[in-house]
This record gives sequence, C-alpha cells and structure tokens, in this order.
Amino acid sequence: MTKLLQSIVDGLGVGSTYALLALGISVIFGVMHLVNFAHGELITIGAYASYFFFLHGGSWWWMPLIIIGSAVLGSVVMELVAFRWVRHASPFTLLLTSFALERLSHALWQIFVSPKQRAFPKPSWVFNQFKIADISFEVMDVVTIAVTGVTLALTAVMFKRTLFGISVRGAAEDFDAARLMGVRANRVISGAFAYAGFLAGIAACLIVMRSPAAEPSMGADWLLKAVIAAVIGGLGSFTGAVVGGLVLGLLETLTRVYLPDIAEGWDKFSTAVVFILIAAFFVIRPEGVFKVTHAERV
Amino acid sequence: MSANNGLVRITRSMLASAVLIAIVAALATAYTRTGGASRQSLIAEMLSNFILVLGMQVFIGNTGVLSFGHMAFAHIAAYATAIVGIPLAAKAKALPDIPFGLADVEFGPLGVTLFAVVITMIAGALFGVAVCRASGLAPTMITLAALFVVEQLVKNWKELTRGAGGLSGITRLQGNTWLWAGAFIALVIAHLFQETRIGRFAIATREDELAAPALGIRLFTARYAAWVLSIGLIALGGSLRAQSLGSVNPKQFTLDSGILILVMLVVGGMRTVSGAVLGTVLITAGNELFRQLGDPQRLDIERFPDLFLGGAMLLAMLLRSNGLLGNRDLAGWLRRRMYRPPPAVDQPAGTAADGAAIQPSTNTLVAREIEVHFGGFVALDGAGLSVRPGEVVGLIGPNGAGKTTLFNVITGLVHEQGGTVALGERDLTDSTPVDIARAGLARTFQNLRLFKSLTVRENVALASMVAGRHRRQRECPDPDVLLADAGLTDWADREASTLDYGNQRRLELARAAALAPEFLLLDEPTSGMSDVETMAMVESVRAVAARVGAGVLVIDHDLAFITRISDHIVVLSEGRVLAEGTPADVRANPLVAEAYLGSSV
Repeated sequence: MTKLLQSIVDGLGVGSTYALLALGISVIFGVMHLVNFAHGELITIGAYASYFFFLHGGSWWWMPLIIIGSAVLGSVVMELVAFRWVRHASPFTLLLTSFALERLSHALWQIFVSPKQRAFPKPSWVFNQFKIADISFEVMDVVTIAVTGVTLALTAVMFKRTLFGISVRGAAEDFDAARLMGVRANRVISGAFAYAGFLAGIAACLIVMRSPAAEPSMGADWLLKAVIAAVIGGLGSFTGAVVGGLVLGLLETLTRVYLPDIAEGWDKFSTAVVFILIAAFFVIRPEGVFKVTHAERV
Repeated sequence: MSANNGLVRITRSMLASAVLIAIVAALATAYTRTGGASRQSLIAEMLSNFILVLGMQVFIGNTGVLSFGHMAFAHIAAYATAIVGIPLAAKAKALPDIPFGLADVEFGPLGVTLFAVVITMIAGALFGVAVCRASGLAPTMITLAALFVVEQLVKNWKELTRGAGGLSGITRLQGNTWLWAGAFIALVIAHLFQETRIGRFAIATREDELAAPALGIRLFTARYAAWVLSIGLIALGGSLRAQSLGSVNPKQFTLDSGILILVMLVVGGMRTVSGAVLGTVLITAGNELFRQLGDPQRLDIERFPDLFLGGAMLLAMLLRSNGLLGNRDLAGWLRRRMYRPPPAVDQPAGTAADGAAIQPSTNTLVAREIEVHFGGFVALDGAGLSVRPGEVVGLIGPNGAGKTTLFNVITGLVHEQGGTVALGERDLTDSTPVDIARAGLARTFQNLRLFKSLTVRENVALASMVAGRHRRQRECPDPDVLLADAGLTDWADREASTLDYGNQRRLELARAAALAPEFLLLDEPTSGMSDVETMAMVESVRAVAARVGAGVLVIDHDLAFITRISDHIVVLSEGRVLAEGTPADVRANPLVAEAYLGSSV
C-alpha cells in the first residue's frame, strides 16, 4: 500500500510537469493548429537564463521570475519571427517549421555556450524529506504538486472569466467565427504564445530546481513526452492536456515500479511497454480522451 | 488498363530513374576525382541516405502523413543485417547466447540484404496496421512510439544486439557498387509506385481526406500499401548502410538521423521523386560544407552542420513550404509529354455523342423516414425522397432545413438515428462513404474538395481508376470525353487549384461523373456563380449526367437554376418534406412561399 501511494505521489510529480507543458501545446494548437515541437526549447531557454543569472551572482529568490520571463519572451519571439509567416499554411508545414526552430535552438546553444552540461547550485531544501503516515515525501514533490495545482486553478479561472481566456477558447473552437465577433487574430495568437511560455516557464522552474543544470538537448526529452500527453488528452482540449500529462506520469512510474513484479527482468523494457500501450490507445481512440470537434463544413 | 499501358509506365519510370541517377553519378564522379578515400565514404553515406529518403518519400510524400518512426525500421534492418552478416566465429564470440538458432546462420551480401528487408517488412506490416488505421496526428505519435520501443529493444535485448556497444565485424561490401544498385532500385520503385493505381489513391488521400473516400478510395488500403513499400526501401537503405560501414550501434538510427532524412525530403520537395533526389544532394553537400567550416577539435563549432540543417529547413518552410520543386518532377513531365488523347476527343463534344451516352440503370435511389439529431437539435425529422433512374430531382428549402444533412446521410458522412437508404435492392443505410461511392453514388461538396495540387486531367483520371476497379458493371466514360463535356479540355494540364471558381465547380462535377455512378449528388453546384455561369451550369450538368446515364439529386439556393434543371422538386423545411412535385406545382404551392418568405402571401 505504501509502495502504491509512494509511486502515485512520484507519478503525479512528473505528470504535473508534463501537464503544464502539454497544456501550453494544446493552447497553441487550439488557436493555430500547430503542434509546437519548439515548445520544449522554452525549458532550455529558461535553464540557460538561470545559469547566466547565477554566473552573475543571482539568488534563488529571483530565479522563478528570470526563468518565467525568459520563457515568455522566447515563446512570443518564436511566433513573431517564424510562425506568424506561415500562419495559414498546412499543419504539416507548421509542424516542420517548429521542428526547424528546435534544431536551430539546439545548434545555437551548442555553438555559443557549449554542448556540455552547465551546472549551477540548487536550493538546499529541495530534497529534504518528511513523513506522513509512513509515506515519505520530498519537499520538492509537494512544491511541484502545489505549484501545478495553483497554476492550473488560475488557468481555469482565466479561461472562464477573462476576455482573453474566452477569446482563446472561442478561437480554439472556430477561429473564423471568433474573428467575426471582433477577436483580433494577432493579439489572441501572441497572447496564447505568451501564456504557453508562462506555463513552460513554471515547468522549467520545477525542472531546474530538481536538477539545476542547463544543456542544449534538455528541452527535447520533455517535449516529446508533453506532445504525447497532449495528443492522449485530445489536442485542443485543455482539460485533456492536463489529464493526459497526469496519466502519462502515472503510467511511467507505475510500470517502472510494478513491471518487475509481473514479469521478472522486464524492468529494462518499461519504456517500451509504456509506448506500446500508448500506440494501442491511439489505435482504439485516435482523437484522444477528450474529442475536440472543429467546425468543419463539407 | 492494357498491358501496353503498363509497359509504358515501366519504361517511363526506368527512364526517369536512369536520368536522375546519371546526374547524381556525374556529380559524385566530379567530386571524388580528387580527395581520396574520405570522399568515397561521403558518397557511400549519401547513397544510403538517398535510399532512406526515397523510402520516406513513398509514405510521407504520397500520403502526407508525417512519420518520425521510419528510422526504427532502419534500425531493425541494420541489426538483422548484423545478425546474419557477421562471420560465424566472430558471432559466437560477440553473441554467445543468441536465440532462435541464429548462431549457425551466415549469408552472402544478397542473402543478408533480402533477409533484412523481409524481416523488417514483416515488422513494418504488423506495425503499419496501427499507423494506417489511426487518423489526424495519432499516426505520427504511433510512429514516434515505434522509435522509442525499438531504441529500448536494441539497447537492452543483449542476447540479440549486445546492447550499447553495438555489433561490428559485418562482412563489408567492396566499393560503392551495391549502394549505386540499391539507389537505382529505390528510384525505380518510388517512381513506379506513383504510376500504380494504389499509388495514385495514396496521393488522393493526401490531397483530401474526405473527398478520397467519397470517391470510393479506402484510406487504410492506400496508406497501408504505401507504408509497407516504404518500410521495404528503408530496410534496403538500413541494411546497405550497415554492410557498408561493417558495424551497427544503437545511436545509428535515432530521432536525429531521422530528422536529417526528413530535412532532405522536405527541402527538395516531398511530393515528387525528383524533389527527394534534389534535397538529398543539396543537403549532403551543404552539410559537408559546414562540417569543413567547423573544426572537429573545437567542440563549440563542431556543430555547424546542425545550424545548417535547422536554417535550411526553416527557410524552406517560410519561403517554399512545398520544397524547391513543389509538384514538378521529371516523371510527371514525361507523363505529360507522352500523353496522347484518345481520338474521340478530337471531335467537338456534341458530335461525340454517337451513341456514346450510357443507358441509365434500372435502380431507384430511395431515402425513407430519415431522422437525425445533433444533441437536442432535430436536423431531420422523417424526411425522405426518391430519385428514379435518369431523373433530375432538385432539393430546396430555407437555411437550416436539413438539405445538406440529408445529403450527408445518403452519402454516409452523417449517421442517421432512424430511417433507411436504398439503391434499388441494395440497402445502404449503415454503409461507409467508400462503399456508398462504390455502389454508385458520387457526390460533390458545398465548399469544393478537389485534389488541388493535381492537374485537371489527373483529378478526373483518379475517379476513372476507381471506376475501372470497383464499378466494372457499368461502362466507364473516358476522362477526356468528360472533360470535353464539362468544357475543361483547354485546362486539362493545369493544376486544379489554379482554375477559376466556375471551372473548379465543373471539374468537381466531371470528377464525380468519372466514377460511372448511377446517381450524381450535387451540393450547391452554382454557389458563388454569376447568372450567366449558372445557366451554363445547367447545360454542363445535363451533358455530363446524360453522358454517364446517371440520375441527379441537386441542392441549390438558386430557384431559377433549380426550376430549370429539375424534373421533380422536393421542398424541405425544419427536417420534413413540406411539398414536392413538378417545378410548376411547387411554384404554385402557397406553403412553399410561406416557408421562404416567412408569412402567407
């Protein structure tokens, strides 16, 4: 029982980071049908920003601001220099454009900083442990789940109550109709990118607090998982993105912990098992858990 | 399609392939005249990439479905190559616990390659079922999953792969002859696929996922054929790469190397074989140039090639998203040059009707008591209609009356909650759009769904190919005759998207007729047309329908058009039939005026 609860806490910890990233991907998909493979680069940008910040004597208290600020800026700039120019292109072109950005970001960090990992100090309390009823929690687990919870709650309020949130939801359902209602395309799209950057910035904070280091490829690994989570949830569905992220986090942790019990020596194939399950899921339900119907006339 | 026609297509593919490989060979020879062995090995690398790019082109280029997972199958092929290509003594040392009795198996180069291709195609065929059944982005995600699964298998199934260190000592190929031969074979296969019926169907699914099934093209079959063939070529490339290097390791075919191949494909132009070849040559050259600019001793500028790849891809997407060549290619050019229209078309459309019109069938199209709800909204509430052979029935009604919904129910796009649809004896109530199209109902769409990047003739010829296979019971009209009837002969070689609006509508009509249908279903064929064009459309619809002996069911808002073209008119209002009869009857009916004008006149 303890083992189960422990792995659920771990799974939610990883899963909530996936959820933050997947939500950003889903928001952008909603407004412009782009699966942004460069979204993970915002983590890389945030990590390097905090590396440079520490290099010049920064402290942990200001770090979240630096990371989130740089991620938001990075996201908005991406839209401005690349995606704006291919906005009406096919989803295929959009996706490849984001892929090109990901490559470029990767190469630029390697050339201008270093292909090697650059580490910086971490806050001392991160891995402190405490126990509630035999289950040991790391401080970081609690911080992760709490921060994600608050962020998602704020997001939900924003999408329901603010004009910006409602515009984004409207645009996700039917962009042409939203424009006829007076929603400005440029403003909504820029705003969506800024918001996705904000979410990625929070994810980046949580990631670098656990392992305080920056390297060129760090965004790519998270990104692939986040894209898969967003697609599991149903691209364009905001609830789906969060559910997809949490499910993926739990699935990964649970297979790693329980697979050896079921089939001995199979722990080294846990990733393979997770991906076979995911592939099987897509065959049964290609549109994801939450199906998003787009206004499309025939 | 006659045997003669098949021979022409094979000749054309061979010719295009020979020209392309000759150009590449000339460039390679010029490059390797100086510079020694390292230049030869660059050519070897380029040639195996060449085969991999063509492998990806066959699937991605023709179906438009993005795959990240092709490299997984290159990996499988490379390891299969190693397992039967390493001499027995060395294998006993490297893989002492090898399962499946593979310890005693060793083949020559041909055997190794065939073994790798067959094993990989079996794995690919199994996996392809999942990839090709899914829709939207799911296939791309499934291929990504394949990549991770295979990566973990080659790293951890140590009895078979020796884990992270990889396998070396594969009997190496002497020189690049095998690679050149492989590249030529890949070129011929990629060209030929685009000439086959199933290859054309795959292209149709890329152009429009909704229009292709409505013309009787099954998405799964077309994509699956492309997938399996594509995996075969990938296996050829992966196996030859492994035999050329003499070793394999888990880092050989990763997501990154897949992206290199993808960049080659999209920069040159993924839709055509010529584009794939151009991209391979350009990216290989650019990559090498940037490698020389960088300094391998210095980590920071060793990564110049990555910068080049990212930059090349971004520029291609921003400036020419269809690649440098777009839809142009050598094989397509040859196809147009070699095209000879059948003699009948040389006469004007009117005189060609020397008994050429096909007799209407004896089946009646009947929809009865159709009920459709969208949530709480009742779109159709017991509406029905029937169209007799060769008859033209107009379907009118105010906005929201359920006209298009009824159309979509009949053609299988919307599922009805109640009622039946039948064509003669055949019940079509729960059939899929593909089966309905093959049964003999061909439709057009309200907002035009042409195969945009294909030529006008290719659009019509595609439907003819479906008819040639699935509608043999009916006489199939010649595409050029239909183009003449629709007044499109002069535009036959133009890309469909470059036609003006009226001609695009006429093309969609001709394409539907090429299916040799028993009934044509036209959804607002005159929307957006001027009065003059609308009246011309009456003639086009009559001529085309008479040519194929089809009855017509037509929705339109233009009452002048409807009354002129229809033998019988059905008026829908709020999901029910309000009135029906001859145009004169309907015009005289006070209920109809009320429904249209909102009050009794």
